[in-house]
Amino acid sequence: MRFFFVFFFCILSTPLFAQQKNKLVFHHLFTNKPLVFNENYILKNKDTVSIQTFKYYISSIQFLKNKKVVWKEKKSVHLIDEENSPSKIIDLDNMPDGIEFDEISFNIGIDSATNYAGVQGGDLDPTKGMYWTWQNGYINFKIEGKSTFCKTRNNAFQFHIGGYENGLATLQKISLKINNKKPLEINLDVEKLIEQINLSTQNEIMQPCKEAVEIANKLSLLFSIQ
Amino acid sequence: MRKLIYLLFIIFVGFVSFKTIEPLFVIPKGWQKPTYDFTKNKLTQEKINIGRALFYDNILSKDSTTSCASCHLSYTAFAHTDHALSHGINNRIGTRNAPALFNLAWSKKLMWDGAINHLDAQALAPIHNKDEMDETITHVVEKLNASILYKKLFYAAYNDSMITGEKTLKCIAQFLVTIQSYHSKYDSVMNHQSTFTNQEKKGYHLFQKNCASCHAEPLFTNNELVTNGLIVDETLNDMGRMKITQNVNDSLVFKIPSLRNIEFTYPYMHDGRFKKLSEVITHYTSTVQPYKNLPNQLKKAIVLTSNEKVDLIAFLLTLTDRHFLYNRAYQFPKNILTTTKDKQ
Repeated sequence: MRFFFVFFFCILSTPLFAQQKNKLVFHHLFTNKPLVFNENYILKNKDTVSIQTFKYYISSIQFLKNKKVVWKEKKSVHLIDEENSPSKIIDLDNMPDGIEFDEISFNIGIDSATNYAGVQGGDLDPTKGMYWTWQNGYINFKIEGKSTFCKTRNNAFQFHIGGYENGLATLQKISLKINNKKPLEINLDVEKLIEQINLSTQNEIMQPCKEAVEIANKLSLLFSIQ
Repeated sequence: MRKLIYLLFIIFVGFVSFKTIEPLFVIPKGWQKPTYDFTKNKLTQEKINIGRALFYDNILSKDSTTSCASCHLSYTAFAHTDHALSHGINNRIGTRNAPALFNLAWSKKLMWDGAINHLDAQALAPIHNKDEMDETITHVVEKLNASILYKKLFYAAYNDSMITGEKTLKCIAQFLVTIQSYHSKYDSVMNHQSTFTNQEKKGYHLFQKNCASCHAEPLFTNNELVTNGLIVDETLNDMGRMKITQNVNDSLVFKIPSLRNIEFTYPYMHDGRFKKLSEVITHYTSTVQPYKNLPNQLKKAIVLTSNEKVDLIAFLLTLTDRHFLYNRAYQFPKNILTTTKDKQ
């Protein structure tokens, strides 16, 4: 009888262990603490900042060992949204066990081929609010909030970072050195981006432009492995 | 004997499939391959029907007053005849002239400034534009999912009544690609079923010499974007494609429109500044501005006598396609959108 309990316990718990394995978990932070929407944060330069929107695309996830790709996800596109907690966990179900890697790389944003391929579904559906309409193309990264230093209506700032052509491409490749630890937990510290922006002079980007490219180039600063 | 039956069977299957595929979309004889990738959005009559219903349905606008057909009227080649700038909800006026719609399967970039690179994404622009429908695709899809009529239509088309942004936009694109114009007098002359009058023939030669490199046959556009040397309208200050690329070489660059059905698509130009064809021709002979980014074709002024201008216009009128203008398949779908009550 006892044998059966052990047996069933093993059977039932297998999926739990399996789930633990191949996952990518994103943690959104502000000054090393979990990001809380609408909370007033005080920056080093005494700016007060609160965040209301934080969402971005992660695509082309691949794992490397000694700089060689050992596994990459097929159809790899994920919309990560602070407001939608399950979106912060990416299941890499198809990743075989036992693959050894020392590096992970992925893109923030959507590649230009996809931007030329018309309308798509799932996380790429234009109803997700990450698609420009007067000029088509995906918004790769979106952060919105308020700061007393913004002399705008409701002190609001909005950065919609995208663009894939005309020398205004914003797709960013992120590479992070890792060990084989599972699940893989990745931190994004929003403060590291915000403190790079002078909110009193720059508070709105809503289209592909040089300023968007400059901000996109800083996005890698956000990421670290936990 | 068995071989013969086999052969007959093949012919039969070929005939049946030809009959069912042919009416949805046609590549007219001698035309190049369309740019639209039909393998990514396979045409079916059910999906075209949804697209057609959506095209005529005010549900796409925020206050349910405006549809695509408000500015794109089938009887006038889907242009907004007599209206220089597009009209949206609450009598708002946009900044550009609603273009004619046909032969869109051959288009490369859409909108006057080429801001849209794919037909599937096109409908998003007027839906979201504050001066047009002032709606969001997210809310449109919510409204459609709450509509018994559309639930039924999507179920018939996809075997799944869940409506998404992707499905909605691809259905609209399906209807748009089926809007085709290739039955003008010009076309029948090219197919040796008709002949030009002497005046039309003279006009055709003038057209080939002076206009055809940009307004290339048989589409009557090469679908490129260039500046045509218009003076800036200071009430609009529309810099065209430069707004998209932020490149000074794209200053006042606009899409080259097709000249098919031009008899009905007045007023002309991106801002509808010219009411008559003669004014358009006079622009090309007399008022082209010497911008740095002017295409080679316009660097030397086009010279036409007043008689030649009349001949050229006579030719342009042969591009009117009444078969297209009065095609019932493009008109309000009475059998689908019968009453507004069904939609609630």
